[in-house]
Amino acid sequence: MSDVICNPHHEDAVILSDVKIRLGDNLILDNVNARVPLGESTAIVGPNGAGKTSLTLAILGQVPYKGTISFPHCAKPGKPRFGFVPQKLQFDRDMPMTVMDYLLSGIQIMPIFFGYSGKHRERILKMLDEVECRQLANRSFGALSGGEIQRVLLAQALLQDPEILILDEPTAGVDFKGGQVCCELLNRIRKTRRFTQLMISHDLATVAAHANHVICLNHRVVAQGAPHEVLTHEVLSATFGLHLGIPDLHNLAKDVSKCS
Amino acid sequence: MISSIIMSLSEFVSSFLPFECMDAMFMKRALLGLLLIAPLAAVTGIQVVNSRMAFFSDAIGHSAFAGVALGLIFSVSPNFSMPVLALFVGFLIMYLRRGSRLSSDTVIGVIFSAVVAFGLAVVSRNRSVAKDMQMFLFGDILTIGDAEIASLIVLAVAFILFQFFGYNRMLSISVNPQLASVHRIPVAAYQYIFAGLLSLVVIYSVRAVGVILVTALLVVPAATARNFSKNSGSMFWISLIISIISVVAGLLISAQKWANTPAGATIVLCASVFFVISLIYVRCQPGKTSDTEK
Repeated sequence: MSDVICNPHHEDAVILSDVKIRLGDNLILDNVNARVPLGESTAIVGPNGAGKTSLTLAILGQVPYKGTISFPHCAKPGKPRFGFVPQKLQFDRDMPMTVMDYLLSGIQIMPIFFGYSGKHRERILKMLDEVECRQLANRSFGALSGGEIQRVLLAQALLQDPEILILDEPTAGVDFKGGQVCCELLNRIRKTRRFTQLMISHDLATVAAHANHVICLNHRVVAQGAPHEVLTHEVLSATFGLHLGIPDLHNLAKDVSKCS
Repeated sequence: MISSIIMSLSEFVSSFLPFECMDAMFMKRALLGLLLIAPLAAVTGIQVVNSRMAFFSDAIGHSAFAGVALGLIFSVSPNFSMPVLALFVGFLIMYLRRGSRLSSDTVIGVIFSAVVAFGLAVVSRNRSVAKDMQMFLFGDILTIGDAEIASLIVLAVAFILFQFFGYNRMLSISVNPQLASVHRIPVAAYQYIFAGLLSLVVIYSVRAVGVILVTALLVVPAATARNFSKNSGSMFWISLIISIISVVAGLLISAQKWANTPAGATIVLCASVFFVISLIYVRCQPGKTSDTEK
């Protein structure tokens, strides 16, 4: 299986111990202890309002939390290079800005009104090729569809040359086939670029097929481990709070993990 | 020394405008002042429009009253107390906006009212200053002095440095500050430096067009440029050009005998004409929506 090849010593990219997040009177996360294995694909699953996004924001250092989050294997201690693809980017869609403008604004120092540097432009076009949307380079960023924006944001995250890539519902709003394609694309890029991937997902079938490690979250960690160990009826009903009529995920997970 | 440099600079910029009205020294100095303010206002305006901070700049403009009031209380020149208070208000709003869960409009609204009330209360007690308030309401570029032009030059240098290293970063931040921060842009530092520069640009623009029209001087060229452009680079240049043409045309028209209008209002009217043209341009372009909101 791929995880054995990627991570022979079972090292961790992120270790969360006793992480607590409180927002006003609401306890969003309660003593979360979890690990994100190095170089693999980890999925966080859980119902709405379970604290999935808060957990990723805590890892990204964007919300205050109690407890510790450590990154034992990053190049700069405590400060890994992140790539982040948010679920739905809130921005002013009327802003005159091409996809190239936006991607350059993150990596080029020389103001873009003086033009594009050839070196950065090449790098961006190569990255857009990698996420299969080179044709979007000169389109207006605000006029793109949701799925196209996700791809541009993925390209932007990859331009950071991330050690840890975090995706919030990358397959939300994409049809099933689109979701599959997106996950296959991510798996392929991850293997060449060797980063740790952490994604939130609602789509259990995609998780079963494409993640090596699953964290089931509902304010606390209900279970974590390999998909075929975790995605059982017992764990899922404890996570989502009801019995789910899902066809045998146990076997599905095993079958697909063979081919991934 | 400084005044002779400013005098020769004024002569130089005026030499491009061979009009009778430009013979007077105060017109030459006004032109130099406006040519310093216009690019600063135009570029700040782009970032104000992109980050939806028009109300923010309006509040800083209105702090001019309170700046004058502070000057009276501590008997210092308003040329000193106005920028200092504007900086304070700018940083305060930015701090509250970043840290509070109140909507930023609410935060700004409260501070806006407080500084205006304070300014009016103190200034109204003093009859002689109350008469001068017209200058702050409508601007008075013709009386700009050497000291103000010298400080504008210093501000312009700081501003150009910031924009050279920060223009792209500010663009990233205006799309989404959280995403920018995750991708290792020091968002807080950029936002505070921008708030400081914005405050100073606004308070010097009050000199040109007055408290009432100051936001227009920043926002109208940028909004016009948004309608004309498809990418960030062209938005920058179009906004800059429209701003410079508007101040020069506004100053010249205001000095004509047939017009005899206040310079500030005429400048904003010129910019507005460009905006109307941009709306017509958008109407003729299928598939592009107009940018009529602030």
